[in-house]
Amino acid sequence: MSNSTTAGIDPRGPRFGAAITSVLLLITVFLGLGDATSTTAGFVLLLVLAALFAVGATLGVSNHPYAFIYKKLVRPRLAAPTELEDPRPPKFAQAVGLFVVSIGIVLYLAGFSYGVAIFAGAAFIAAFLNAAFAYCLGCQIYLGLKRLGVIRNA
Amino acid sequence: MTWQLRIELVAALLVFATLAGLVWKARTGRAHRVRSGEQVDLLKLEAIKGGKPVTKFGRRATALQFSTEVCSQCRQTARLLGELENKHNDFLHLEVDVTNRLDLAAHFKVLQTPTTLLLDSNGRVKARIGGAPKPQVLQEELRKLEIKNV
Repeated sequence: MSNSTTAGIDPRGPRFGAAITSVLLLITVFLGLGDATSTTAGFVLLLVLAALFAVGATLGVSNHPYAFIYKKLVRPRLAAPTELEDPRPPKFAQAVGLFVVSIGIVLYLAGFSYGVAIFAGAAFIAAFLNAAFAYCLGCQIYLGLKRLGVIRNA
Repeated sequence: MTWQLRIELVAALLVFATLAGLVWKARTGRAHRVRSGEQVDLLKLEAIKGGKPVTKFGRRATALQFSTEVCSQCRQTARLLGELENKHNDFLHLEVDVTNRLDLAAHFKVLQTPTTLLLDSNGRVKARIGGAPKPQVLQEELRKLEIKNV
């Protein structure tokens, strides 16, 4: 395995993004548990989050809007990173996030409105663990999914 | 659903995620003894180090690290084990990318990465560490494999 094919990224960037994502997902859960109007608002927020995950999963986290916020506002206030990280692990995590919130979107459209709160909640757990504990989905589930034949490549 | 119940459910989710994180943090990177572990077959492993196939184990101990391409903690673990290897002549660090070696992942029952097997001088598996190894854990395990002054 080599990092030579891909430029390294500041590992604090994706965790900063995960922190914003987890706050937005928690708000989505709250909205998704309310009345019809509130749930619709939660659904719209989940659509926005899905779009953001899609950007990260296709263009990579360094082209994600959060990465620009991080570079402009946060990184100038921090010391230089002690090490750079491979951008592929957070890209994989974005794809998993997209998959999970998409289930909530599909369930809502199919008439099960609690799908928004339930799958926003599931995505929240992963995003929060990433932000707060440096939990890495690529480390934990990628190989298992690959062994099961669910995914073929990164 | 009332406002109060909604807030309670959101708070419960936050508490649950925090507890899950604490449990994960406490359990990851710990060493588990392996009783009568197998002898690793270097030919089957096809490990490459410095551009050359690896034909010998470390004189006293070898850390065999399984990684994938989408594993950020694998990089940190490789760096940590590499530093230990530089300090100790008797210790060898091997890293095998199992992204496209699912046969090895199945054989060694690797589900998460990094997973590190600690081998004795004969290449026999003595301990297994799931997740990024904690530095103190590594020191203790290497002492057991007679790597001095860790």
